[in-house]
Parts: sequence; C-alpha cells; structure tokens
Amino acid sequence: MKKIWVFVLILMLGAVLAACGGSSEEASSDAEGSDDTTKVDISRVRVLIGSSSTGGDTYQNADAVTRYLEKELDTNMKVDAVGANRAFDELAKAKTDGSSIMFFHDMSYLGVEYGSFPEEYSLDNWKVGPIVAINPGNVFLSKADAPYNTMVEAAEWLKANPDKTITVAIEAGGVSQISFDGFYIWAKETYGEEVSSRIKAYITGSQSDKDQALWDGNVDIIHGAISSNVQYTEDGVEDKIKMKFLGVTSKERVEGYDIPTFAEQGIQVNGQDFVFAKEYFFLLPKDIDENFASKLDQGAAKVVENADYAKDLGVNAFYVNHYSLEESQAYLTEKRDFMRYIIENGADLNEITAN
Amino acid sequence: MEAFEILTPLSIILCILGVFVGIIFGAIPGMTATMAIAIFLPITYALDLIDSLGLLLGLYVGGISGGLVPAILMNIPGTPSSICTTFDGYPMTQKGQGERALKVGITASLIGGAFSLAILYFFAPVLASVAIDFSSVEKFLIILFALTVIASLSSGSLLGGIFSGFLGVFISLVGFFADNNQLRLVPSFLENQLYYGFALLPVLIGLFAITQILQEAEKGMKTASHQKFEFDKKEKFSFKVFKGQWINTFRSSAIGTFVGILPGVGGSAASILAYSQTKNFSKNPDRLGKGEPEGVIASEASNNGLTGGALIPLLSLGIPGDSTTAVLVGAFLLQGIQVGPLFITQNPDLWSGIVWALVIANIVMFLLMFLAIKYMAKIVFVPKQIIYPIIIVMCVVGAYAINNGVLFDVWTLVLFGLAGFVFAKIGIQVAPLLIGFILGKDLEKYFIDSLKGSGGDLTIFFTKGPIAIVLWVLIFASIIFSLYQSWKSKKTGNDIRNAA
Repeated sequence: MKKIWVFVLILMLGAVLAACGGSSEEASSDAEGSDDTTKVDISRVRVLIGSSSTGGDTYQNADAVTRYLEKELDTNMKVDAVGANRAFDELAKAKTDGSSIMFFHDMSYLGVEYGSFPEEYSLDNWKVGPIVAINPGNVFLSKADAPYNTMVEAAEWLKANPDKTITVAIEAGGVSQISFDGFYIWAKETYGEEVSSRIKAYITGSQSDKDQALWDGNVDIIHGAISSNVQYTEDGVEDKIKMKFLGVTSKERVEGYDIPTFAEQGIQVNGQDFVFAKEYFFLLPKDIDENFASKLDQGAAKVVENADYAKDLGVNAFYVNHYSLEESQAYLTEKRDFMRYIIENGADLNEITAN
Repeated sequence: MEAFEILTPLSIILCILGVFVGIIFGAIPGMTATMAIAIFLPITYALDLIDSLGLLLGLYVGGISGGLVPAILMNIPGTPSSICTTFDGYPMTQKGQGERALKVGITASLIGGAFSLAILYFFAPVLASVAIDFSSVEKFLIILFALTVIASLSSGSLLGGIFSGFLGVFISLVGFFADNNQLRLVPSFLENQLYYGFALLPVLIGLFAITQILQEAEKGMKTASHQKFEFDKKEKFSFKVFKGQWINTFRSSAIGTFVGILPGVGGSAASILAYSQTKNFSKNPDRLGKGEPEGVIASEASNNGLTGGALIPLLSLGIPGDSTTAVLVGAFLLQGIQVGPLFITQNPDLWSGIVWALVIANIVMFLLMFLAIKYMAKIVFVPKQIIYPIIIVMCVVGAYAINNGVLFDVWTLVLFGLAGFVFAKIGIQVAPLLIGFILGKDLEKYFIDSLKGSGGDLTIFFTKGPIAIVLWVLIFASIIFSLYQSWKSKKTGNDIRNAA
C-alpha cells in the first residue's frame, strides 16, 4: 500500500514539476549550430509574449524564432503566453542578465499610443529589437455577397447610398484599429464627413469574435489576417460563411493572393500611401547586460539566415524580416511616429462606435 | 482495421500516454486539460501531425475526465467543468460510496464522450452550420438559462442564493474592459495584478479546497465518519444504477455536446446546465445535492459530451468551441494546417485519424480509471493532517502555474479561501457565487455584443427569432419550477416540524 502511495505522489510531483517547468524538456541544450561567439552565460531564458493565446500569430512567431535561437545561444528558451500587460510588468521587474525577455509586435507601441497600456511601457523605456519576422497579411474582409469588392468601392458605395452605414469590426488599441484609422482618415479627406460619419466601429476581441460578428450580420466588414481568413474565401465554402478580401495594408501584394493593397487602391494618409504590416521583435530591459544583448543580436542574425526558419514561418504566411538591435530602435521609433499622426487624426471610438 | 491504417503505433502509444498524464493533470486541483495541452504543445513540433494529435487528444480526454476524482473524493473540483460533480459526488463519498460514485462518474464520462464523438463524426458540418445561427443574443440567453440553476442550488435561502450569484457575476467583471480600454472595479494599487481580473482556477480551488481545509481546521481535523468504514459495504457499484437514468444520461450528454458546439460558451456552462435540467426533471429533486448518482451522471456525461462537441466548430469552421480546443488550434498551426470549413473534405485521413484517436482516448480513459479506482478511492482514508498539507501545496503550485508563474494568483487562492470561510458564516452561498463568477464575463460580453449589433435596442432579446423565444420559455419554466420546488420543500419541512 505504501509503495502505491509513493508511486502516486511521485506521479503528482512529476505533473507539478511539468506544469512549472513548462516546455523546457523540449528545449534543446545541444550546441549544434552554436559557437562560442553567441553562447550566453545563462542556462534558461524566459520569453514572455504579449498574447495569452498559444494559437495566435505571436506565439507561432515566438515559438519559431526561439526554437532556432536557443541553439545559437546554447541555452533553453521557454515561451510563456502571459498576455501583454503581465509581460510588460514582468519585463519592468526583470533582471538585466537576459533571463526574462519579451517578444511581441507593433501593438507594443500602438497600445501605448492608444492608451491601452500605460505610458511607462513606451518603446523609449526598453531596448527594442532585433526584429525577426513580418506578417504582411493584414486585410479587411466582407461577406462574399457585399455590394463592393475593395475598400475604396466600399467608401464609394457609402457615397452613393446616403442612408447606409458601414460597420467595421476591430479590436481597440491594436493593429486592427490603426488600419481602420488609416481607412477612416482617407475616407474623411477624400469624401468628407458626410461619408466618414457613416463609417462605424464595432469593438470586439479575437478573430473568431470578428468572424462571428460578420456572420451574425452585426458588422459589414472585419479586420483579419490572410492566414486565418483565407479558408472562408475558397470555392466550396457555403454561402452563409463565405467571405471576400477587400484590401491588404502591406506595401506590396502578398504572393499567392489576389488582394489589392491599400496603396494600389489609392488610400493615402498625410500625403503618403497607407502601408502597415505587423513586425515581430524582442523587447529587453533598458539596462540589459550588453554582452547578452549583443549575443542575442548576433544569434538572431544567424537565425534569419537559416532557410529552415524561413520555411517554418512560410507555412503560416509569415516572412523573415530582419533589423538588428541597433537598427530596430530607430526603425520602430520612426514607424511609431508616423502611426502617431494617424492615431491623433483617427476616429474617436467613443463617437463612432456602433450603438 | 481502418484505425490502424491511419494511426501510427506511435500515435496510439502517445494517445494512451496522453490520457494517463491528462488524468493526473485533471485530478490535481488547479491543473487542467488546457494546461496539459499548452505544456505539451511545443513538444508536438517534433512529431508528425497525427502523432501529435494522438497525444493532445489523449491529454484532452484524460484532463477533462480526471477532474471527477478530487471532486468526488475531496469535494474539490479538479477542473472548472467538474464543479457540479462535487454536489452529489462528495456526499456519496461521505455516505461511504466513494468508489461507487467514481465508477458512476467514469461510466457516465465514457457515455458522454462516446455520444459526442458519434455526433462529431456523423453531423459535424451540419451542426457547425447551425452553430453559426446562434448569435450573441442566443448565447446570452443560453448563459442566462444556465444561471437559472442558481435558483435550484440555493440552499436555505433563495434570496441569499440569488444575491451570492450576483456577487459572483460582479466579481467576474473586475479588470480590463476591452470595449473602452479601461480598468474597472480595480483599486489603483492593484492595477497591474488585477488587469485581467481574478483568474478562475485560483478562485475555484480557493473557495473549495482552502475554505474546506480552514473549516476542518476549525473543527480540529477530526476523522470523518466516512473515513472509518470500508468502501461500499452497503451499496456496490452496478451498471444497474443507470437503469432509469438513460434519459438523464443522454440528455446531459446532448447538453454537453450542444454547449460544446457553440463557440464562446465556456465548458463549465455545459455541466451547470445539465445539472440544473436533471434537477428540474428529476422524480426526486429534493435528493439531488445530497448524494444521488443521478447528479454525478448529469455532470460527468455533460462535461465529457463537451469534448466531441467543442471539436465540431473547430474542425468545421476553424473556430474553437472552448478554451482547450483553442490551444489545440496551436497544434495545427505549428504544423502549418489551417482548420476551417474545408478541413474535413480536404484532409479525410487526418479527420479519420482524429476520430479514431478520440475513440481510443475514451476507451483508454475508461479502462485506466476504472482499474485504478480502488487505489484512487483509498485517498479518503489518508488522515486529514497528512492529506490536507499535500493538497495545499498542490493548490499553491497549481495556482502559481496556471498563468505561467503569476504570484498574485496564489494570493487570489488564499484570499478566496479565507473569503469562502467567512462567506459560510454570513450566509453567502459558495456554489451560486462560483457559478455567477464562471458565467459572469460571458453573460456581459454577449449582452453588450447583442446591444452593439442591434443599435442599443433591448427588444432584440425577444425579437431575434424563434430560437430566442424557445430559450425564454425554457428560462421561465426553469425559474418557475425551481421556485415551486423551493416552496414545496419548505412546506414539507414545515409539515414535518408541525407533525413533530
């Protein structure tokens, strides 16, 4: 009887340790691909991501880069999906040895600009970079039977139908709001308030919520991602859930998809083409150990050259996009400043939220 | 046999291993199927998709099923969806029928799992299409319907139960409100800690486990009567217990499957709804909550019914039916496979593999648990001064691990443990409070989404369509029936007192 109890307790303890240890068993400690120039002194790096989901794009990118990077750094890297606020909070309290770092995307500064995150989480308070990936597939979609095929046609349809409105499902304070704001400002500048005042926002959360809002008939257009929404645009999908792409915000068309860019459609803000693509990067404590930061930078530079890494990203329509640690800070600050103009001139959600 | 043509030997071994580990995760208070899958997810990258799905589906089925063990033996729900299992499971243990209760629960779990699997296999695309017709209005009404169980669960004072339920809803609203990017109901010094509100698991195990341990400590940790005698001296388990319970079993399995199909309606709502309907339809509603196998069957058939149900919108629409299947999406994406409306037709082998893996997982779950019961059940004989410290350690570790290492979750556990202890003394009822807490956020979300969709028109809840009308009828019927039951039991009590 005692033996059984000991066995049960060992099993329980094992499960407890597994829960605390997370995926470290998977993390490789072999030094394949690593050399001394990129080998870090710590045995474990916790990578906090700004999303609490393990099914989303942030997790996929974090998982891919850490899988290759831990080999370059000869350490164990563990991705923890704790959500943006907790990740920032822990990063602010993290040691400077690199044992806790963060991985996120443009929402890290958009959230601050939109007021979702406190000012103390501003880009200026972290060491930012390197940038390692890009998701160019930020799109807007409507039901397949909508009376317009592009975002510009949607605005023209509003102009031609003064009694109609268009409601767009977005998430407040993030990537979808900045893309919506770009469209809203352009519509206001091009067609005047008579049209822009009939563009409404429907604030919701996840991609599934946005999809459901479209199917419920609560919204006319949703923000989405090519990778997660393309399935609803294919032949054979029943009419009730069928969607079509109205435009993508990337600089150029995404290979393999016939979706016009905002720039092609002539959607401009402040005299420039509206272009936005989500980029993924590391955020480190401001006073991070220079040695660690340098090795992370060098390690990432090797990872982005690895064809297998590019292949892994490609399966979910992400691409390699590299800026070194030094370049990232200046690049992202400039990107933020352009977005700041859009945020300052964008729609006030309190006024245009559908109600 | 088709299963062995599609599944590799490795996938079958991993599935069995997954069930085993999943059961352990489910059985440890504070650890869940979702957590087990999230932990093993990165490992799956090194595996083929079919092998990784074998492992993850095994973890899913095992994790959901394991929750009944502490619920029945220790009055601590191992997972949120086994909360209703405690209502009758633990009283059965107290009557010396712990082993019987476990066997009833496991058998009901198998039936629920098999039922939902059959529905998944034969009707997935059709039902996924129906699920889309359930808009935020209908989802709000379903949550409201589940909340009506508070009326029938209220012990002693109906008003007290309703108040406790509302208190639970109120607590669930603490934290960040996504619609306006603002924090609410949060004191300024706790803004970082309560940004996402109170985490469910620490609240759940705090209110059940820690409160119970404090109450036992107050009584001096005396050996309870059910610890003194051998199990099931009086009533042994027999499959005959299901005689007369087939309608309950299938209704509960169907409710579990149906709630699973609806994306965004949490899994706990399934067992709560099934339990409330069993109480409403029972010939002896007064006896439910006092150790009736009927209640264990309802809860367990429904929460395993959820497994197949939640996979329907995932595999037919690409939308996860519950939080656990949301993590499963990650497994597909890591392999570069997008689940969606064309998934089944474009991946027939993978689809068959998933179904077969679920068949194996359910059978393995049943065999493993059924064979291990007589060992598991002995846990009640461990002296309280030994088992309770172990439980506290497991609860603390579980609370700490649930959000990948947030110490505030441990404080939440302690806070709600103490609160539960005080609540019992001032008449606030823990079960309705917890049900309000579990369902509160969804209730608010779908209420607001409905109003946003209707331009603020409240009549939408009555005019949306026939499904909404049917749900209103069910809600009112459930409330009236509960009130009638409450009045009847009060009257019976008065009659007995008068006669005495």
